Amino acid sequence: MSLIRQVWFLVLGVVLASLLGSVAISAASMRSLLQTQLQTKNSDNATALALALSQQGGDAELMSLLISAQFDSGYYQSLRWRRADGSMAFQREAPGRASAAPAWFIALTPISVQPGVAKVSNGWNAAGSIEVLSQSAYAHDELWRATLGTAALLAGAGLAAGGLAYWVLSRIRRPLDRAVVQAEALVQGQYTVVEEPREPELGRLSHAMNTMVRRVQQMFEAQAEQLEVLRVQAHCDALTGMSHRKHFLAELESALTRDEGPARASLVLLRLRDLAGLNQRLGRVAVDQLLVAIGHAVQVYPERVKGCLAGRLNGADFALWLPAPDVAADTAHALADALSASLPAFGAGVQVALGAVELARERPASDWFGAADAALARAESRNGFVVETLVPPGGSSIQGERAWRAQITEALAQGRGRLAEYPVLDREGQVLHLECPLQLQLESAGTYESATRWLPLAQRSRLTAEVDLQAVALALEAIAVDGRPRCVNVAPASLLDGGFVARLRELVFQSPQATRRLGLELAEAAAIQHFELLQEMGRQLRPLGVKLGLEHAGAGLSQVERLYQAGLDYVKLDTAVVKGVSGDAARAAFVRGMVIMLRSLALKVYAEGVADGMDVQALWDCELDGVTGPWATAQGGARR
Amino acid sequence: MQEYRLAAFAGGVLAACLGLATLFAPAPLAAWEAERVLESAARFGPRTLAAARQLQQLVERVAQQEEGQRLKPVNDFFNQRIAFREDIDTWGKLDYWASPLETLDRGQGDCEDYAIAKYFSLLAAGVPEGRLRLVYVRAMLAGRPQAHMVLAYYAQPNAEPLILDNLQPEVKPAGARPDLAPVFSFNSEGLWQGVGGSSSGSAVARLSIWREALAKIRAEGF
Repeated sequence: MSLIRQVWFLVLGVVLASLLGSVAISAASMRSLLQTQLQTKNSDNATALALALSQQGGDAELMSLLISAQFDSGYYQSLRWRRADGSMAFQREAPGRASAAPAWFIALTPISVQPGVAKVSNGWNAAGSIEVLSQSAYAHDELWRATLGTAALLAGAGLAAGGLAYWVLSRIRRPLDRAVVQAEALVQGQYTVVEEPREPELGRLSHAMNTMVRRVQQMFEAQAEQLEVLRVQAHCDALTGMSHRKHFLAELESALTRDEGPARASLVLLRLRDLAGLNQRLGRVAVDQLLVAIGHAVQVYPERVKGCLAGRLNGADFALWLPAPDVAADTAHALADALSASLPAFGAGVQVALGAVELARERPASDWFGAADAALARAESRNGFVVETLVPPGGSSIQGERAWRAQITEALAQGRGRLAEYPVLDREGQVLHLECPLQLQLESAGTYESATRWLPLAQRSRLTAEVDLQAVALALEAIAVDGRPRCVNVAPASLLDGGFVARLRELVFQSPQATRRLGLELAEAAAIQHFELLQEMGRQLRPLGVKLGLEHAGAGLSQVERLYQAGLDYVKLDTAVVKGVSGDAARAAFVRGMVIMLRSLALKVYAEGVADGMDVQALWDCELDGVTGPWATAQGGARR
Repeated sequence: MQEYRLAAFAGGVLAACLGLATLFAPAPLAAWEAERVLESAARFGPRTLAAARQLQQLVERVAQQEEGQRLKPVNDFFNQRIAFREDIDTWGKLDYWASPLETLDRGQGDCEDYAIAKYFSLLAAGVPEGRLRLVYVRAMLAGRPQAHMVLAYYAQPNAEPLILDNLQPEVKPAGARPDLAPVFSFNSEGLWQGVGGSSSGSAVARLSIWREALAKIRAEGF
């Protein structure tokens, strides 16, 4: 039984016991008092009547009249005058009056009264005795009334005491509940600080917990800072602070293979002409400044637009990848204009050439660079701030979009979806869980298409919540069949759908067994952009057994200021972070740092998109909990 | 009814445990418990114990005799042994009804004390309660009326009683006592029913002086 309920019962018990006890004692004492009073009244009235009768000189008529007068003017049950030999001389009797009190009450409080007896004399002669018996129903009436009154008064007092107790208990309860919520949140991995209650006992408890939470937060922040240093060392070009070639390629790889994102995207390559000549003419320091200035101009884009990638590929080459169609040429021209305005300040003949391409996102990185390099080569062949673009025709028209949307909606409605399965393996090669992206059969009897094809459109059409719910439903079914743990991607956009979490909750409620093997994962961006929504989703679903994870986690993770409050179960590190760790100590150090930080928050850490066996070995050395990607699929023998 | 309202109100306020003592009425008064009387007398002192022994012997002796013969020895025993004195002088109170042992202990008493002592001695000697009555009388003493109490013995319910008095030490029929005018008579018959005597300490039972005396005397063994 809960503490509060115990106190409640105690209060209730004490109030009830004192109420019943007081009423019983007061009724008992009143009963005894009334009985004594009634007996005394009988005796005293008998004596008084006998005294009067003794003065009548033995006149029987007169004495009878006196007895009648006494009887009629008082509340008597009987008046009897017996002669000295015991025979009845005169008597008046009235039937016993029924009391207004209920029978059970009369049975509980019997008032037994004996008749009052007194001797009557006539001069020296004994004239017998008089017996007086009063009505006792009045006593019970009064006793009943007084008991009711006492009970009502005490019940009122009891209610007041109960109300007071309720108020006090609820006052105690609020801070107690807060402390309990905080403790439960800690268990769930949410390190939150609560307001410290004024009650000293609870205050100390909350203060201790808050102190602990703050210490965890400080530790986390310190680790995050350290991690940022490692990240810069591992991923960035020392001069401009932009991603270096290796990391840019890894990032691009990740962006191209990710489910969400536009169907077509743009890549701009920028080259500072004649780097060697400039070095000779302007000197190394000035050229470095020049490169930093170009870096700043390019860096503007990723800072402003989410999903943009920028990097310095080598000495004179910069790259900018934009996750949007129809912007390649404009962006390249805008960059050229901006640089043509600012670069002449460094010296005459400082020029850049730009090549821009737009391609379908599903094309491999080599295609992208091949096309972009070709455009850049054309631009380089001319003098000045030259922009060459290569935009193959195509792309989706509005009409096409509508058709797609209808197809997606129809596929969802008809349940033409299935889950692909990619294993996440641990060090021993055991399957930890299956990653299950949804595939939709957009045309009936057509092929099942992966999310890369239709997810961007679903996102634009605000269909992601429907898509995700379908995926979860399929995953739960599959788990119910084979009992293997599965996880499903949830689009960050779905969180914005007001009813999404409630519907999700309803869905998992229906299969509580399978729910315990279900994982839901959201892109890192969700934790940055919709932190509160993510937290709320965890609060709603994790108590039911659903695991919650972040996928595509990388540099952004250190931007999630309150990761310790998020309440997560695992984190999957992005390909961009884990790719190439085997050959690069700095990258490995960053991954190791991340693992340590996330482990301190009791999170499992997995690596995504791992293709290389050497990388896998390096990741095991970094203490990761599991890997997924082409290597794991090849190992685990994925079923598709 | 006013009285009951007050009582009810008082009952509501009082939360005292008034025991059930009032429910246990003592048995009707019969012959005495001689041993207890002697024990009680011993508590007063050796002189009282001696007097009580003499009373015990007297009672035992007269109990053998016919009822009518028992009156004179008892009457004489107290008339000779007790000196008349007002309560205020003996007890420091205006009116005090002493028990037979108290009266024997002091060796003095007023008219009630004589009558009470004789009444209980005769009961002890086996005279039925119904034949004895304590009578308030108006006595003409030296031409002046005075409140007085005597013990009357009725051989039959309607017969003329014999009077045991301390003013005139002989036992005489009522007719031979023109100086006495009876006013009211009582005895202990029926008094032990209901309102009990044991509780002279009860604050609630308003006991009369006669009930108080009865309780006290009974406690002494009569």
